[in-house]
Amino acid sequence: MAETPAADVHPPYLYPDYKSTRLRAPAQPLVRVAPSPLDTAGPTFPKHFVKDSEADLTTWGKSAPLGEKMVLVGRVLDEDGRPVRRSLVEVWQANASGKYPHPVDDHEAPLDPNFLGKGQVLTDDKGRYRIVTVKPGAYPWQNHAFGWRPAHIHFSLFGNAYAQRLITQMFFPGDPLLAIDPIFQSVPEAGRRLLIADLDLEHGVEGVALGYRFDMVLRGPRATPMGV
Amino acid sequence: MAKPTPSQTVGPFFARELLWGDGDKVLFPGQGDRITLTGRVFDGAGAPIFDALFETWQADAAGKIPSGGDGARPYGYGRVSTDTDGRYAIETVMPGSFRGPGSETYAPQISVTIFARGLLKAVQTRVFLAPLEAIKDDPLARAISDPDRLRTLIAARDPGDPKIYRWDVRLRGAGEAVFIEL
Repeated sequence: MAETPAADVHPPYLYPDYKSTRLRAPAQPLVRVAPSPLDTAGPTFPKHFVKDSEADLTTWGKSAPLGEKMVLVGRVLDEDGRPVRRSLVEVWQANASGKYPHPVDDHEAPLDPNFLGKGQVLTDDKGRYRIVTVKPGAYPWQNHAFGWRPAHIHFSLFGNAYAQRLITQMFFPGDPLLAIDPIFQSVPEAGRRLLIADLDLEHGVEGVALGYRFDMVLRGPRATPMGV
Repeated sequence: MAKPTPSQTVGPFFARELLWGDGDKVLFPGQGDRITLTGRVFDGAGAPIFDALFETWQADAAGKIPSGGDGARPYGYGRVSTDTDGRYAIETVMPGSFRGPGSETYAPQISVTIFARGLLKAVQTRVFLAPLEAIKDDPLARAISDPDRLRTLIAARDPGDPKIYRWDVRLRGAGEAVFIEL
């Protein structure tokens, strides 16, 4: 099984309870290699790659989407606590009914014409981001009998170096479905808390939107100062 | 040291959210020989993986690491999804070789990251655009002792069209590609 010393927080490739890993997880050990100059550099996203409006997922339609409006704030940091500045953060999610506007989503739940469920933002000079959206719904999936994915928001981060590239999922505090979700449970216990947002009421909008906080930490190549 | 945020799968519902218009055409500020890297991604049963996100990052034709972008997109980065046959195609320039901090020489190569449903973490590797005998001094080639394993990372030039490099990726089982960790 391809297992790495960094597995203290990252999931293994093979996690049989998540059925899709059985044929897709590499079986050979990873080859450890020093970072190349490509790994310590990374793509630069031009300033107008992202429009300010793309950080608000609730303003794409003719009126507000259905669901519980929320503001999500957080910081992207490296392992030494330094801000990861001017880096691209992409998000996508189901609507409040647990439905994605995607052709392979066969969940019998309504689409929301006022919600596309995608957004992006660049972190600021302190590594901060802010996104406005609605809380996604849980939805059933075919992995196992009576399986339901807990509500989650997908995150894609580029960091400041190719070696920092990360795709992950953010979950909500107190969700009973976390206990039966093999994707969440694939993360070793020491890492699970890091995928759950905190309520952060003061960053919400009084009377309008609930506030949540989700900070993320990107690693560099092991034992190699990246200086980014 | 803060613990890194754990990885999770990209899942099946990403295409519309993450794909770029013209993400299959990699941009550079300068010129170079335009080539296409193309192939298919397979699972451990030999079935095509039709829902992978395939990303590439590379040096320019002179071996320089790109920085900046053309105003709409970063230089040097490609991003596509595989199709129903598991096929991807990236049109780019032939990368030059480049030097590392210890003055080691990197053979012409493209860094590849693949995300997919069923991959709880991305797989990363480097595909070589040069024959086996030309990459022997490359740091990754030296780290792979078995030549059969190394061959899983060599793109084959199409005999009928020298601008096309073909590289199939098997995630698991016979012919499994070498994946790396830094």
